[in-house]
Amino acid sequence: CSEYQKTLKATDIGPKFKLGEELYNEGEYSKANRLFSQIVPSYRGKPQAEKLMYMYAQTQYGMKNYIASSYQFERFADSYPKSEKLEEASFLSAKSYYMRSPVFSKDQTETKVAIEKLQLFINQFPKSEYLTEASGYIQELDGKLERKAYEIAKQYNTISDYKASIKSFDNFLFAFPGSSLREDAMFYKLDASYKLAMNSVERKKQERLESAEQYYKDLMTGFTETQYVDQASKMHEDIVEELKNYSTKS
Amino acid sequence: QIGKPTGEKYTISEITVSGSSSFSEQTIVTYSGLRKGSEILIPGDEISEAIKKLWKSGLFSDIEIYIKDVHDGVASLEIHLYDLPELSDLKITGVKKGKFEEIIEENNLNEGVKVTENLITTTKNYLESKYRKEGFYTTKVNVNVIPVNDTLDKPYVNMVVAIDKGEKVKIKDINFIGNEVLSDRTLLGSMKNTKEKMFVRVWKRSKFIEDDYKTDLVSVIDTYKENGYRDARIVSDSIFVNNDKTISININVEEGEQYTFGEIDFIGNTVYTDQYLNAILRVRKGDTYNGVLLEKGIADETRPDGQDITNLYQNNGYLFSTINSVETNADGRVIDMEIRISEGKPVHFNEVSVVGNDKTNDHVIYRELRTRPGELYSKENVVRTVRELSQLGFFDAEQLTPNFNNPNPNEGTIDMEYEVVETGSSQIELQGGYGGGGFIGTLGLSFNNFSLRNLFNLESYKPLPMGDGQKLSLRLQASQFYRTYSFSFSEPWMGGKKPVQFSTSISYSNQFLYDSSTGEADTDRRFNILGVTVGLAKRLSVPDDFFTLSQAVSFQHYNLKNYSTGLFTFADGYSNSLAYTIGLTRNNTWNDPVFPLGGSNFSVSAKLSLPYSLWNGVDYEALEIERSEEEAIYNDPDASAAAQNSAYTRMGEIDQERFNWLEFYKVKFKGEWYTSIIGKLVLKPTIELGYLGAYNQARGVIPFERFYLGGDGLGSYSLDGREAIALRGYPNQSIQPVDTNGNTTDDGAAIYNKFSLELRYPITLAASAKIYALTFVEGGAAFNTFRDYNPFQLKRSAGVGLRVFMPAFGLLGIDFGYGFDPLPGQTEPNGWETHFIIGQQF
Repeated sequence: CSEYQKTLKATDIGPKFKLGEELYNEGEYSKANRLFSQIVPSYRGKPQAEKLMYMYAQTQYGMKNYIASSYQFERFADSYPKSEKLEEASFLSAKSYYMRSPVFSKDQTETKVAIEKLQLFINQFPKSEYLTEASGYIQELDGKLERKAYEIAKQYNTISDYKASIKSFDNFLFAFPGSSLREDAMFYKLDASYKLAMNSVERKKQERLESAEQYYKDLMTGFTETQYVDQASKMHEDIVEELKNYSTKS
Repeated sequence: QIGKPTGEKYTISEITVSGSSSFSEQTIVTYSGLRKGSEILIPGDEISEAIKKLWKSGLFSDIEIYIKDVHDGVASLEIHLYDLPELSDLKITGVKKGKFEEIIEENNLNEGVKVTENLITTTKNYLESKYRKEGFYTTKVNVNVIPVNDTLDKPYVNMVVAIDKGEKVKIKDINFIGNEVLSDRTLLGSMKNTKEKMFVRVWKRSKFIEDDYKTDLVSVIDTYKENGYRDARIVSDSIFVNNDKTISININVEEGEQYTFGEIDFIGNTVYTDQYLNAILRVRKGDTYNGVLLEKGIADETRPDGQDITNLYQNNGYLFSTINSVETNADGRVIDMEIRISEGKPVHFNEVSVVGNDKTNDHVIYRELRTRPGELYSKENVVRTVRELSQLGFFDAEQLTPNFNNPNPNEGTIDMEYEVVETGSSQIELQGGYGGGGFIGTLGLSFNNFSLRNLFNLESYKPLPMGDGQKLSLRLQASQFYRTYSFSFSEPWMGGKKPVQFSTSISYSNQFLYDSSTGEADTDRRFNILGVTVGLAKRLSVPDDFFTLSQAVSFQHYNLKNYSTGLFTFADGYSNSLAYTIGLTRNNTWNDPVFPLGGSNFSVSAKLSLPYSLWNGVDYEALEIERSEEEAIYNDPDASAAAQNSAYTRMGEIDQERFNWLEFYKVKFKGEWYTSIIGKLVLKPTIELGYLGAYNQARGVIPFERFYLGGDGLGSYSLDGREAIALRGYPNQSIQPVDTNGNTTDDGAAIYNKFSLELRYPITLAASAKIYALTFVEGGAAFNTFRDYNPFQLKRSAGVGLRVFMPAFGLLGIDFGYGFDPLPGQTEPNGWETHFIIGQQF
């Protein structure tokens, strides 16, 4: 430890590089990182810089400092396009972006960037050993965006804004045609339209009942064995019952 | 540069560097990205890429790459470049030394900066326009660059920035020529920023600023337009330089004829009738032509929320509507108008999203939106959403922006995105200090964006579970003489379905009396208070949706043991208070909750206990008579000590009977208005009234729940329901009622009123710290009964103060107030008082 402190305070860059590399190999990332950050400017443009920048980025990654590591790996890939570590650095840069993606219920700007970066990596290295991992991440991130849109649409239903809920589920179904939440979305869209129709003013009731009936049919054709079959059929019965009022009148 | 345009593959055999640079050859080659031994195309991307990279470094000039030699698929390259000179010495002439720093800062003229042509030009332009704006109309700036010859490695230059501000141009007089209908004074008055030099004018300076002058010429014409002179124009304007460094302006106007409005036709309107549109336009046939009023009726640029035809359409979904007025006929000074309206499709919101919420969860934000997918576009609702989101207190009000994306006039849809920036909304208070005869420690935590469901989810601790919009606060305070513990929690949308706020709080305090023999707290003589409150508040939609109705049930248990003060006549005993509070508030202040620029905030509330005396069968009148008899014995100097003691004991028993369950009602009103006077100078008048009454006069007004006027108004440690009402310029809780005999009690008041007038001006409204200065005049009065009540018997004060709001600390402030009136029982004016304000949010 005292050697580390001494080197940290010294001015020579050579010993810092050497000790930093040792610490890096031992997995002491935060210690190595402190040494590297001191000498990175001095090595700029020198031949050892390639190795240093790579290790520097790795220490950031090891410290879970993903904002820094995504940037450092990206910079490394930019500066040394001929490096043998290029593929790994590009992947770790993209993966750092993936790690930065927050829970679905918060701002997803980072998630979108991460998807973009991962896709870029896949396009650049279509035969990479990291391919499965990368595409797995993309799927997971896509899942977050789906979940976000789904939960927002569902919340509109919860707070009784049925029109906003129907519209949002429409947007959701359009934007994510392959989503695993498709069945749930179709059911809650039916649920919202059912409540909208049942609580409707007389003037618009028939029209709303009819579209609710249509959403029921959509659900049943899309998912013949839906888990929501009991609730959905109950709603359908009510809708048919209510619609009778209109067919007898005309 | 490139020798052979063959586009063939070559291996780089050698790269040399020529020109002049302080960087080593190796550094430059590495930086260029070219490598010895690698294969490149000539011509090809690699070489131009290398030049670009070197350019981007911002370190070199005149970069070129040559091919020195090509044979057998092998090429040797030469990179030719020069270092950009660095700034060594900077000289600024023509302005005071004090301005140097500012000029260096604003133009980035620090030592060592690379001197480019761009830097020279922007510096010159920046300075010229800067001084012109300050009224130095003839400013000339020269930037000279002189190479330094005796440098060893790097090229350096010295720079001389010569500023010749010339004379500040003042306007001696402005003459109008050709004006007959409108007087010189009217026309001069319409020129808002260009004024004649005048001895008495303090506010506006008579500088000549060209931009302002041009706008003012337009205002002159507008003044004519407002009076029917549609054709008025400025024929010429000339500026003379006088001998005394001032200028005179001659403005030649041609007034033309006065016009009136003729027929006004609306064309293209299908949604609204002509009559309806005409009512909004406020222009009638036969009126004097007024171009400015006409424009305001169509689209009022000065008031974005004004009542005009554009807003009528904009607030009802017609985002793509355009409205144009066209003069169709101007015969005989009567102008026929056509208002041509292209309504377009009504626009509905498609996607509505929020970005930037990296702490707050979606559901907390989306439920507050007033623009939802599928709804008609409405400008008004967008504005209101922005206001209400900023009032949540989680986002920086100054940076909240609504963005419109993907407008689609054919489909009639638009996407909406609210961009938010999170601010810290938790506050921590940790204090220790000496006061009240001993050490006082306070630990206060308040989390304004708490997440209760994540309490046991360790991953969400960053550093605390946040983002569900709940409020949680804890406060512990302890000293030798008292301890208080309080906890409160609130959830703005109970159950997540409706905006019904649920709140609850529990508090417990115990106080000990001071033991004069030991100088310490006497733990045998104590006063314990336990309080629990549960409340619901609901946003209303009628009469308008700024109203909130709140209800709460509260219970307090007061327990006294051998604790006697002036407040209570029973030293041992208890008292329970079960009360129901109903309150109605209306708050439409905007925009920043810390510093509202407008709107008002009203609240009226009533706190009621059950009228126990109606059915509990106690004859309070008899008790009242008995108590006054006992009191007479107690106060009788001739009575024996034993008789006095027994009388006092009996009085305590009677009081215990009267106050075992507190019977009272309390009504309060508070109203505050915010009006912007000029820009961000805001006037805030406040009125406050409070009344504490008894259903049964014989049972009497309770000794709890009273109003204590005076001082900073911060909550006192005691939880006996008392309310500290701020009145600056007087000590805390000092304004006690004076009864008809001139006696002062210190038990608090049953009636109070307060009037206050505050003028506020923001120094900065940045997200990190909002600071504003204020000055106030106020007055308040406190009484025990309606008999004594006189709303104008005020204790008056005036003063100044400062408030600083920082997200982590809440509001901090200091006020200096001067009390013009004497305190109760005194004769001299109270004089200056200093008040520190902590944590009172708004």
